Amino acid sequence: MSSRRRVLLKVIILGDSGVGKTSLMNQFVNRKFSNQYKATIGADFLTKEVQIDDRIFTLQIWDTAGQERFQSLGVAFYRGADCCVLVNDVNVMKSFENLNNWREEFLIQASPSDPENFPFVLLGNKTDVDGGKSRVVSEKKAKAWCASKGNIPYFETSAKEGFNVDAAFECITKNAFKNEPEEEPYMPDTIDVARGQQQRSTGCEC
Amino acid sequence: MIADGAGEDEEKWLAAGAAAFKQNAFYMQRAIDSNNLKDALKYSAQMLSELRTSKLSPHKYYDLYMRAFDELRKLEIFFMEETRRGCSVIELYELVQHAGNILPRLYLLCTAGSVYIRTKEAPAKEILKDLVEMCRGIQHPLRGLFLRSYLAQISRDKLPDIGSEYEGDADTVTDAVEFVLLNFTEMNKLWVRMQHQGPAREKEKREKERSELRDLVGKNLHVLSQLEGVDLEMYRDTVLPRVLEQIVNCRDEIAQYYLMDCIIQVFPDEYHLQTLDILLGACPQLQPSVDIMTVLSRLMERLSSYAALNTEVLPYFLQVEAFSKLNNAIGKVIEAQEDMPILSAVTLYSSLLKFTLHVHPDRLDYADQVLGSCIKQLSGKGKIHDTRATKELVTLLSAPLEKYNDVVIALKLTNYPLVLEYLDSENKRVMATVIIRSVMNNKTIIATAEKVEALLELIKGLISDLDEPQGLEVDEDDFKEEQNSVARLIQMLYSDDPEEMFKIISVLKKHFLTGGPKRLKFTIPALVVSALKLIRRLPEEGDNPFGKEASVSATKIFQFLNQIIEALPSAPSPDLAFRLYLQCAEAANKCDEEPIAYEFFTQAYILYEEEISDSKAQVTALQLIIGTLQRMHVFGVENRDTLTHKATGYSAKLLKKPDQCRAVYACSHLFWLEDHETIQDGERVLRCLKRALKIANSAQQMTSSARGSTGSVTLFIEILNKYLYFFEKGIPQITVESVESMIQLIRNEESLTSDPSAESFFASTLRFMEFQKQKGGAIGDRYEQIKV
Repeated sequence: MSSRRRVLLKVIILGDSGVGKTSLMNQFVNRKFSNQYKATIGADFLTKEVQIDDRIFTLQIWDTAGQERFQSLGVAFYRGADCCVLVNDVNVMKSFENLNNWREEFLIQASPSDPENFPFVLLGNKTDVDGGKSRVVSEKKAKAWCASKGNIPYFETSAKEGFNVDAAFECITKNAFKNEPEEEPYMPDTIDVARGQQQRSTGCEC
Repeated sequence: MIADGAGEDEEKWLAAGAAAFKQNAFYMQRAIDSNNLKDALKYSAQMLSELRTSKLSPHKYYDLYMRAFDELRKLEIFFMEETRRGCSVIELYELVQHAGNILPRLYLLCTAGSVYIRTKEAPAKEILKDLVEMCRGIQHPLRGLFLRSYLAQISRDKLPDIGSEYEGDADTVTDAVEFVLLNFTEMNKLWVRMQHQGPAREKEKREKERSELRDLVGKNLHVLSQLEGVDLEMYRDTVLPRVLEQIVNCRDEIAQYYLMDCIIQVFPDEYHLQTLDILLGACPQLQPSVDIMTVLSRLMERLSSYAALNTEVLPYFLQVEAFSKLNNAIGKVIEAQEDMPILSAVTLYSSLLKFTLHVHPDRLDYADQVLGSCIKQLSGKGKIHDTRATKELVTLLSAPLEKYNDVVIALKLTNYPLVLEYLDSENKRVMATVIIRSVMNNKTIIATAEKVEALLELIKGLISDLDEPQGLEVDEDDFKEEQNSVARLIQMLYSDDPEEMFKIISVLKKHFLTGGPKRLKFTIPALVVSALKLIRRLPEEGDNPFGKEASVSATKIFQFLNQIIEALPSAPSPDLAFRLYLQCAEAANKCDEEPIAYEFFTQAYILYEEEISDSKAQVTALQLIIGTLQRMHVFGVENRDTLTHKATGYSAKLLKKPDQCRAVYACSHLFWLEDHETIQDGERVLRCLKRALKIANSAQQMTSSARGSTGSVTLFIEILNKYLYFFEKGIPQITVESVESMIQLIRNEESLTSDPSAESFFASTLRFMEFQKQKGGAIGDRYEQIKV
C-alpha cells in the first residue's frame, strides 16, 4: 500500500538565469534543444518516467525562473521535494559562486526534516561552448565544492549535445528515492464512526 | 472549511485550512488505497473546498494550492489506474461534475480531463476547449487565476504540439496556441479586474497582491515560447498580434508593463528582430503612465547582447533597419512624454548607445547622434540630482571605451565631452579615472597635441580645481590615488616626432600650471621625466641643420623645465623643486650646457638657503647637492669654485656637529674627480679631511663634558676610511704618516671609551687594510707601508 505513495518523486532545478535549467529539462524529457535564450517565468514542471532496475519512477521535474523578478509568488512549490538539482554554467564564474546562495535559500525555504542529508546534485552545464576554451570553472574546483557540501554528486553536462544528461537524471532519481522522509504517519483528529465502513473494491462506481 | 468570523490572522486561517485539508487528504488517500472511487471523489471534493476561501493573500493561498496540487497528482494516478481497470473515462469525466460546489468540481474536472486526454479517446483540443470554457464559471480573480493556472500546468505536456503524441489530424499546434491564448486572455482579464475591486484606500494592498500573482499570467507566454510549433511565422502572424491586442485593450498599466517585459524576455531575440515594427507599434498605444522607457531599454539590452554574442546575425540587424526603427520609436516616446524622469531618459539612451556600438561599430556618427539626442534631453533640466541617473550617465560614457578599447576613438565623438559636462564633480572624477584606466590597460598611445588637449578636457575633473564646490573635500587617499594615475598617464602621451612631443608637453604644462597648487607635486615630476626623456631623444647639435634655431632644442626644453619647476616652491613643495633642479642640472651636464647647469644649481641653492630649514632635511639636501655636484664635469674653474665653496660653507653650518663633520668630509670628493684631471686638488682634499677631524674633536669634547660618553669615535673611524680612500688613489698629500696618526688617535680614544659598534667598525677597517695588503701589486705596496 505505501509503495504506491513513493512512485512520484519531486525534483527542483535551481540556478542563475541563463545556465540552462530549462534546456536540461527539455533535453531529458523531450530530447530537444534550442540555442535561443528564452527566460522562464514562475515555476512549472514536466514529468517523465524513469526505470531503474525493475522499478519505474515518475519524476516530477520542476523548472524555475533564474531571474528574481519572475518568482513573484514565492516558493511554496518547494514543499515535498525529494531532491534539489543545482545548475551552473561552467563558463560563467558568477553562476558557480551563487550556488551557495541557491543551496542555502532552498534549505531555508523548503525546510526539509533532515537538512544535513538532503540530497543535492550539481550539474556543471555548457561544457560544449567554444570547444571548452571559455571554461572558467574547472572540474576540480566544482568537485571540491561538492565535497565540502557533504559529497554532492557532480556531473558535467551539455544540454545542447545531450552529454551526460541521462546519467545525471538517473543519479537524481536514485538520490531522490533514497531520501525517504521519516514523516510521522498522519492520523486524523477524530474518527468518524459513521464513515467507518470501507467500500468493497470492485471496479469503479460509475 | 475555514470557520467564519475567526479574526484577521492569516497565519491562523492558513493553519486551519491546512489542517482541515490534511484530514480530508488522509481520507482521500485511504479511499484510493482501497480503490474506492466514490469516497475518493467525496473526500477530494471536501479537501478542495478549502480553496474556496477568501481570507488568504496570494502567497498564503499558493501554499494551500500547492498542497491541493500535490494531492491531485495522486488522484490523477488513481483515475488513470481506474481507467485501466475498466472504468470509462467519459463517465469519469461526467462523474466528477457531480461535486456540490463549483470550484472543487472544476479542479476535479481538470484532473479528470487530463486523464481523458491521456487515454486519447477524444482529440486533445476538444477536451482542452471544454475545460478552458468551463473555467469561466469562476469569476473571482484570485480563485479563478489559480484554477486556470492549474489547468495550464496539467495541460502543458498534453498540448498537440508538433512532434507531440497528441498531435493528429484534428489536433495541431494551432489548436494548442488557441487554447493557451484563450486561457491567457481570461487570466489577464481576471487579473486586471482585481485593480478595481474594493475601496480606493486599499489600492496599494491590491496592487501588491496583483504583483504577487503576475507570474501566473505571464507563464502562459512562457508556455507559448516553448512550443515547437510556434515558429517565427506563427509568432509574427498569430501569437504576437493576439497577445498585444489583449495587452493594449486591457488598458491596465500594471499588466501592460509586466506583459511587455515578459514578451521581451520570453521570446527569442531572433523573433524580436523580425517583429520590431509590430512590437514598437504597440508602444504608443499603451497607457501613458507605463514606463515604456524601461521596456525599450530592456529590449535594446537583449538585442545588444544578441548582436555581441552572434556577430553572424549583424546583417539581419541591418536588413530590418533595427537602428532607425528603435531610434524613431524612442524619439516618439520622448515626444509623447513631457515630464520624463531623467533616469529613464538616460537609461534609454545608454541602452541605445550600447546597441549602436554592437550593431554598427563602424558608424561613429550613429553613436555621436545618440549622444547628441541625450544632450538634448539633458539640457534645460539643470543639475541632475538623481544619483542613479548620474551613475547611468557614467555607464553611458564608459560604453564606447569598453567597446573600442581605444580612447582615441572616443575622442572622435564630438558630443562626448558635452555629455560629460552634465556630471557632478565627483562623477567627473570617476569618469576621468575610468578613461585613464582605459588608456593604461589598453596601452593606448595618444600621439598628437590636439588629441592630448581633447583628452585633458575629458579628464579635467582630475586636472583642475575649477569645478569643485567650495568646502567639498576629497578624501586624501583618493586624491593621491587619482593624481598618481594622472602622473602615470603622462607616459602614454608620446610622439615619435620631437616637435610634436614638445607640443604635447607644452599642452600638459599649460593645464597643470593652471590646475591648482595641490596637484603639482604629483604631476610636475612626471612631466619633468617626460621632458628629460625628450632631451635625450634629440639629435646631436651637429646633426641638426637648424642648430639652436630649431623649434625644439635642448635649450628650449631646459627653459620649459625651469618654468614648470619654479611653480613648485609656492605649492608649497620646495623640497621637490630642489630635487628636480638638481636632476635637471645633471641632464644639462650631459648636454654640455654649462650656463644652464649653473642656473639650475643656483636655483637649487636659493631653495636650500630660503626654504629648507629643518636640520634633518638640510642634511639630506646637502648630500644631494654634494652628490650631484661631484658628478658634474661641465663647469669651468670659476663656476665650479663658486658652487663648491658654497657647498662647503653649507656643510660647516649644519646644526649638529656630527652632521657637519660628515658633510665636510663628503665635500672632499668635490676636489677629486676620477676621470677629470683638471678637477684633482689633493691639497683641498686634505684640508677637508683635516677640517672634518677638527669638528669631530670638538664634538667629542662637547659630549664628554656633557655626559662622559662619546659617539665621535665613530666619526674618527669614518674619517680614517676617507683617508684610506684617497691614500689608495695615490694623492701625495695623504701620507702614510697621516694615516698612521689617525689610527693612533682612534686607538687612544678607544681606550677611553667602550663602544662595541665602533670597535667592530674599526676592526673591520683594519681587516680591510690587511686585505688590501694581500692584494699585492701597486695597491698592496702602498698598504704595506702603513704600520698598523
